[in-house]
Amino acid sequence: MYDLLQRFQNMDRRWIFAGMALAILIPLLFPVEFEFAVDERVSSLYDAVEALPTGSTVFISADFDPASRPELEPFFRANLDHLFRKDIKIVMATLWEFAPPIAVPITEEIAAAHGKEYGVDWVFLGYKPGKELAIKSIGENIPKTFPTDSRGTPVGEIAVMNGIKQAKDFPLLINVSAGFPGTREYVLQIQGQYDLKIASACTAVSGPDYIPFYKAGQLVGLSAGMPGSAQYEKLVWAESEPPKGTRKLATQAVNVLNLGHAYVILLILFGNIAYFLTRPKEVSDD
Amino acid sequence: MRHLLILMLLVAVPALARGDAWTPEQMKAATTMLQVSEEGGKALRLDGDAVYFGDDALPPGLADAARELIRKRDAGVPVELPRRLNPHPGATPKVVVAAPVSSDFGLTVTAPPENDGLNLKLAWTAPTPEPLAWAVLRGPSADGPWTVVTADLPGPTLDFSDKVTTDVEDERPRDSYWYRVVALRALPPEQVEGEDWAATLLAMGAANPAVEGRPIAVWFKTSPGSLMLLALILGVGAMMLLFTRQARQGKEMSIRRIPGIDAIEEGIGRATEMGKPVLYVPGIDELQDIQTIASMLILGQVSKTVAEYQTDIIVSCCIPIVREVADEVVKAGFYQAGHPDAYRPHNTRFISSEQFAFCAGTNGIIHREKPATNLYLGRFFAESLILAETGFVNKSIQIAGTAEATQLPFFIAACDYTLIGEELFAVSAYLSGDPRLVSSLKASDYVKVFCIAAIVVGTVTVTLGSSFVQTLFTIAGG
Amino acid sequence: MRSTVPLIITFFVGLFMVFEFFIPHWGYHWVTAEFLEWGLILAAGAFVLGLINLVQVNLPKVINRDEDWGYKLIMLISLFLTLGAGLMLGQEGRQDAGEFYKWLYDFVFTPLNATMFALLAFYIASAAFRAFRARNVEATVLLVAACVVMVARVPLGENLPFIGEKLPQFMNWIMDVPNIAARRSIFIGAALGAVATGLRVILGLERSHLGGE
Repeated sequence: MYDLLQRFQNMDRRWIFAGMALAILIPLLFPVEFEFAVDERVSSLYDAVEALPTGSTVFISADFDPASRPELEPFFRANLDHLFRKDIKIVMATLWEFAPPIAVPITEEIAAAHGKEYGVDWVFLGYKPGKELAIKSIGENIPKTFPTDSRGTPVGEIAVMNGIKQAKDFPLLINVSAGFPGTREYVLQIQGQYDLKIASACTAVSGPDYIPFYKAGQLVGLSAGMPGSAQYEKLVWAESEPPKGTRKLATQAVNVLNLGHAYVILLILFGNIAYFLTRPKEVSDD
Repeated sequence: MRHLLILMLLVAVPALARGDAWTPEQMKAATTMLQVSEEGGKALRLDGDAVYFGDDALPPGLADAARELIRKRDAGVPVELPRRLNPHPGATPKVVVAAPVSSDFGLTVTAPPENDGLNLKLAWTAPTPEPLAWAVLRGPSADGPWTVVTADLPGPTLDFSDKVTTDVEDERPRDSYWYRVVALRALPPEQVEGEDWAATLLAMGAANPAVEGRPIAVWFKTSPGSLMLLALILGVGAMMLLFTRQARQGKEMSIRRIPGIDAIEEGIGRATEMGKPVLYVPGIDELQDIQTIASMLILGQVSKTVAEYQTDIIVSCCIPIVREVADEVVKAGFYQAGHPDAYRPHNTRFISSEQFAFCAGTNGIIHREKPATNLYLGRFFAESLILAETGFVNKSIQIAGTAEATQLPFFIAACDYTLIGEELFAVSAYLSGDPRLVSSLKASDYVKVFCIAAIVVGTVTVTLGSSFVQTLFTIAGG
Repeated sequence: MRSTVPLIITFFVGLFMVFEFFIPHWGYHWVTAEFLEWGLILAAGAFVLGLINLVQVNLPKVINRDEDWGYKLIMLISLFLTLGAGLMLGQEGRQDAGEFYKWLYDFVFTPLNATMFALLAFYIASAAFRAFRARNVEATVLLVAACVVMVARVPLGENLPFIGEKLPQFMNWIMDVPNIAARRSIFIGAALGAVATGLRVILGLERSHLGGE
């Protein structure tokens, strides 16, 4: 028994990987759905968008890449649907060079589903290098930061950019943020200076870091990771269906996480049981 | 007949409201609106919400026609306007007959406090009735010429912040600027190149007499928060110099040992015994990040120790310029240790500036070169756990240090030692053993005590209702 | 002289940039913005050096057929293929469907990137299994907190019998109180450490990046 427990504690980690693979595959093949509540931070984000007057314009900074796509794309899709449904116009840009090939096709797809026109209802200004400097520049002067959109049209000729000079011309900024540069930099560089309303959707790892910003009122809403995206989907599509081409990805995925998390907890539990049963009694804890 | 009435309304109203003859710009605006109304005989709508008429300026027939228009609109006559004149599809239109807007807005132009000299704040009072929109004009003198700063501030707006120039190289800021705000009674048409748009806007609404504003460029922030921050920084600097002087005079500075830092030299010794290299990863952020700078300082000490122990060091870099600096630092370390021949330039490698490509490349180094000791010191993101787990499989001793709070849990789970937050910034002082550097740690410790005291006092005072301490530590925006 | 001149430059430029925060005047920011642009230009120029270093390190290993030379050959081919595609197709090429660059992005870069990120799920399981042992009181507290947060973050936790209602509240308390307190203290400590490090470099106390004495 002692040997078995020792071998269990020192097992080849590939067995652990195999178990994790099963824990993800099984709920994908045999889905089990559980009800979940909506966090106050996600509700606040939803309410911030709901409070926008019809016809206003928001700024979206789509700062994610293929690695963070599973966590953030569901929020991004739901948010675009939410905004277009309310006839809110979108000015989008990104600080991550690998974001445009993801963000632009998704926005085109959802805009088309709502009959929205590029240049009139939404525009993609493109990728801006420079990280914090780019954010400061967005705060100060958007047409100078992006003299043309991603297609080369001067911003002065784009209808949706009429009257937009600085970040504070937007009633709401939404940052879909996978890391650096992202929400922290927006809050530290321009939120306080221009008294901006910023909402953030971030990866689960960054969520705890941004909670202080939400508590301090520097963020009007926060959606963290897959659970946050699932809660936002629940609010946005409570009484309607997603647009064509979009599924409730996060809602499906968050139920897959159930078994994954349970598996890790059971591993830890059994590991500790084995540890206590095999620990030499005379060794003192440090 | 209806079209004729509408045409009369469109043509007559602005002129009657102003009491002047029609200008070409007014004719153009009216023609645009007329074209809209001629599309299938649909009713007129401006801004999706309201149409303003100067009621007491209308002749009786036109006033009746305006009210007839209102009645038809209220009866649900459908409207279709080109998008640029109808930004609120689906909004319920209303038609309001109102008196002309007066031009006494009480405009004030002031310079914000502690400003860079490029901003002016405008404020005015609400006229009756509220206009459709506001335009802001700026000029170098009371007589113009006028530049249109913005022409679509919503009707309820009563203030505006203007940045007088966004490129000081192209246009230096002046000592003063003159402003007029225009209460627009109709949506302005699209600007035509070469057109005097300011004149068009002035013709479409009521504007105040020009008001002067002087931007004030402040040379030094004197808000309590800024002064407190400066005092803290100068305090750290002054204490550093004081303790450095004491260290030079022979005073002993004792600091608590940190196991992770002690383990660095042990790890280098282990690498020498095993005949394997040391792997050093300075994080994946740019050179200007303070954690990367701290990592370069540590690398200097580590490479000197590695050279003294006569083993190899491989530095895996994500940013090209970090690689260049790391190369110089490692070379200097080997020279300082008296082993210039042992320096291998190809051991300081740029892998990739893409996060996971860098991670895969570094994992490859770990698998192939099998370093005995891995040092992860700098700013890391999602690749931290992948690197640390790969190092664990390789049975390396792993010491990590980062101030990136999101990655600390991963390093703590996977590495043998983890330096948390400020411990990373203390490593170079510890490793060098130089009393001057050690004394700088004491300086930051004293400031930390001050910060703790400030937190406690601040919490108590805020709980008791005083905001003095809060104000002292609030740094105002620009 | 060799180390004195850089120290003097570091001192004056460092102080100049520190005072940028306290001096709002536009003229001052004009100069600091120039410095920052020079830094960006240097960093961009260093990419060429990085490319040269990649070729210098890996090409000899391919030629000499060192260990894993095949991977290095693939790396070099991929490097020049992507470089060529980017140079020839430009910004628009990256976003227009059907272009070779977008093909590389969609069918090579994206799956590889996502795969590397997905490794985290497996690695965290093995790291947690290995590291989360209740060796002492602090480790036990860490262990319990981690398990509570893991369970409460997924719908399963809210649907557990007896504790399902309270678990998310407890998780929120953990995230809102001890978690924020710890993060803020790390942040304050790291900021002070950063100030001390910066001042050490500016005041010339720290010279290991210059080669020392």
